[in-house]
Amino acid sequence: MVLKQGGSQHGIARTSRVRTEAQKQQDLERIQKYRDLESHLRKLVSASDYSCDTFDLTTKLLKLNPEYYTAWNVRRRTLISGLFSRRSDGSSCWRGCSSSSRCDTTTTCSAASLSSSLTRILPSRAYQTTGRSGTTADQDVSDAATPNDTTTPTPEDEESQKKDSEIIKSELFFTIPLLLESPKCYWIWSYRLWILGQSVLLLPVPIAKKIWQEELGLASKMLAKDCRNFHAWGYRRHVVSRLESKELGGESLVESEFAYTDRMIRGDLSNFSAWHSRSKLIPRLLNERVAGEKERKGFLDAELNQIREALNVGPEDQSLWYYHQFLIDNLVSPVGRPTIVPTLTVEERVMYLTNEITEIKDLLEDYKDVKLIYEALLEYTLGLCQLIERKPEEDERQDLISWVKKLKELDPMRMGRWIDLERDSGLTELLPGWSGQPKHY
Amino acid sequence: MESLTDTLWDVVICGTGLQQSLLALALSRSDKKVLHIDPNDFYGDAEAAFSLQEVESWVEKVEAGKEGLFRAASVEKPEGDTGLSFPRAYSLALAPQLIHARSTLLSQLVSSRAYRQVEFLAVGSFSIFKPSPDPSQNPTLVRIPSTREDVFSTTAISAKAKRGLMKFLKFVLDYDSTPQTDTWQPHADAPLAEFLLKEFKMDEELQTYIITLTLSLDGKINTRDGLAVIRRHLSSMGMYGPGFAALYPKWGGLSEIAQVSCRASAVGGAVYMLGTGVKMMNDQEDPIVVELTSGDTIKTRKVVRSNEGATDESSINRLVAVVGSSLKSLFESTVEGAPTPAVAIVAFPAGSLSTTAGEASQSPVYLSVHSGDTGECPANQSILYFTTVSEPTSQDLLQRALYSFLAAVAGETVPQCLYKLQYKQLRSSLQSQPNGLIFDFAPPASSLAFDDSTLQSVHDAWKMVLGDDAVEEEYLTFTDREGAMDDDEIYD
Repeated sequence: MVLKQGGSQHGIARTSRVRTEAQKQQDLERIQKYRDLESHLRKLVSASDYSCDTFDLTTKLLKLNPEYYTAWNVRRRTLISGLFSRRSDGSSCWRGCSSSSRCDTTTTCSAASLSSSLTRILPSRAYQTTGRSGTTADQDVSDAATPNDTTTPTPEDEESQKKDSEIIKSELFFTIPLLLESPKCYWIWSYRLWILGQSVLLLPVPIAKKIWQEELGLASKMLAKDCRNFHAWGYRRHVVSRLESKELGGESLVESEFAYTDRMIRGDLSNFSAWHSRSKLIPRLLNERVAGEKERKGFLDAELNQIREALNVGPEDQSLWYYHQFLIDNLVSPVGRPTIVPTLTVEERVMYLTNEITEIKDLLEDYKDVKLIYEALLEYTLGLCQLIERKPEEDERQDLISWVKKLKELDPMRMGRWIDLERDSGLTELLPGWSGQPKHY
Repeated sequence: MESLTDTLWDVVICGTGLQQSLLALALSRSDKKVLHIDPNDFYGDAEAAFSLQEVESWVEKVEAGKEGLFRAASVEKPEGDTGLSFPRAYSLALAPQLIHARSTLLSQLVSSRAYRQVEFLAVGSFSIFKPSPDPSQNPTLVRIPSTREDVFSTTAISAKAKRGLMKFLKFVLDYDSTPQTDTWQPHADAPLAEFLLKEFKMDEELQTYIITLTLSLDGKINTRDGLAVIRRHLSSMGMYGPGFAALYPKWGGLSEIAQVSCRASAVGGAVYMLGTGVKMMNDQEDPIVVELTSGDTIKTRKVVRSNEGATDESSINRLVAVVGSSLKSLFESTVEGAPTPAVAIVAFPAGSLSTTAGEASQSPVYLSVHSGDTGECPANQSILYFTTVSEPTSQDLLQRALYSFLAAVAGETVPQCLYKLQYKQLRSSLQSQPNGLIFDFAPPASSLAFDDSTLQSVHDAWKMVLGDDAVEEEYLTFTDREGAMDDDEIYD
């Protein structure tokens, strides 16, 4: 591991510098060089020249300016038009459009939709060789052979697969330094996803699968650097769903993804995205384990114990309370959603909830000023009463009143909310002799 | 080019220990004429790293009374083919200090660009040795939790005790603000252990965890110092990556930093002479006249050297053992995305060990375990550095610590010890100070973690040498010699 200085290029901090005449001249030369490259590209494109030279030109331009999305599109076209091998049956490997229909996930396959819109607009040389013109995306799907043909690959096929594999690898490699420089540039990510999609279409399943597995590794690396990056979690889910898809073998990754949330949580308890992911994985996890009632109860107990341990060291952390709430909701109001233990009786639910309330009260021993604890206690106690369909008993009422009082103290900005809560829960008391005039505590 | 004796040197630096070497680095971009000498034929002085051959000649010198701070050195090698590799496969460090991520040393290495020559490894877990209550069972190592996530994961502490520990960790992170200062300042000079008991109701076990994090050699660190060190540890956590709070330079710890600094100084024009010391010096003249052991007599404006004169009665005992196992279980990272650590710390609290005669240990013993990743030994072996404050039973106690540790980490078989080096290092409470035209560096501290106060003396020496030519903004702040990467390359 090497020490890195943050936030600067080449170890030198960015400062606004005064340009000398020599530097100004240098900048003008650079601008001219860029403009020349750009106009050269335009010339080639207008001449429909999508050869290797064009490809090299996009390389130069994109290194200078990865946000130049036209250059990315041209690059894609050069690959499609020639650099990617053709199948021996002569049809184009141009299955970009089909990938959008194969996407099982709801996340956007923006790269795929981009490429499919391209075919509709621009005639490609591939079309010309097969003698078709202006065909729509859908027709292409029905006409073309599936990528996972059961026919034995010819030596020609193997040769072209090898070539395509190399191109895909080098293209993925090409995007890396660009991503390191501009990690938020959508065009680079879009291109990367498109290349990954091409691997499914052009390469045999084991190789494509390996490429996507490496991509999962990349997603893990990104999350290691910034474990709360919402987009990185979304990207991870997309990669996982591709790996689980039929085209890549259809193996479920739910156990390893669940274990991954475990590791992320151990790295940083405050990881809302990890807890959220975890909650989403549970229903499928339990189904795949074919968990009976006993296993499900055991699972719920373990999850409750774990989140309580976390709350014990981090009661001020909202993401932990959200997860606790998720588990309690799962217990208490199972209607209309997949539950962990659907067979719990009302008595059992009451027991669980009562136990949780007791455990949380223990936290007050050492954490007297953490408002989230009081909020939770309030909500769960009121929830308990609702579950049993009765009003709070006297000792519960006293607790509730003192907790609201504490909340008013700790969170005066939300005074209105606490007052409303008091009133709606019937916690306000009538003083003797003051009928109709409730006194607020 | 002027000869050695004709040159009027701006400074002669004696000794290539860490402080002198950092000074040489600091002077490497000035146009001062620097002559850097060392009576040893190796770099690093009291912070050097040795191959096995170099260890043995060093031991001879120590026994002949020629190595200043060191005493009572000996080497023990079991007979026969033990699996010990060739001598140069090893680099035993005399100063295996870990450097906290927050340490100013690191930021100075960065700003001076010297960091590019050093490879840093992560220091991983801190554990406590727990003797087994039952003689038929092996002792164990228990990890010390120092982050909220550690406290969450550990199964060794009760829920209530965890809450107490969390309170303390939060307190320490902000210990120099009110109202925390009101709580600890009255106890500033009292032992930290007492403070933990009184103010945080911590039981002995938790106290041990916290005291160990301070790496206090006698276990008696006071509250003021203890809180400062713990805060440094806690705020260093995660600074350069998840899961670790301290770094260790590859190839021999501080010795590597000393060598890199001297190299940079040589590139800047300083002249180096190993195997050369000061025979005689007349500091009443200006410029100072120095007669070197090489026979040359030179003139210099300033002299910088180590004060190896009077030292305290106190010393530390060290045992360095090469072990024939990679001890993988100690170097596993539990945190996602964390680098594999190369160093692990184990503490044997007072009372957890007993001498052969059955007496319980009075002071803690600290162990720094280094994997082959440090470059200090082959990949399938490890180096154990044991340290304790010197007492009559220390040598015996360190041996017991070694065998207890091997019992605790034994898998199918107990790992074998292939090589042992033992020695004593004197400690000193002397301060570094200028003395007319001479600057005396205090002897190096023999602490387990690098102490940033060392850097202040380097800065003072630099100011003394440069006098009016000292430009504060340029202290250890340089630009790369090679020049920035040429952006124009990508245009071609």
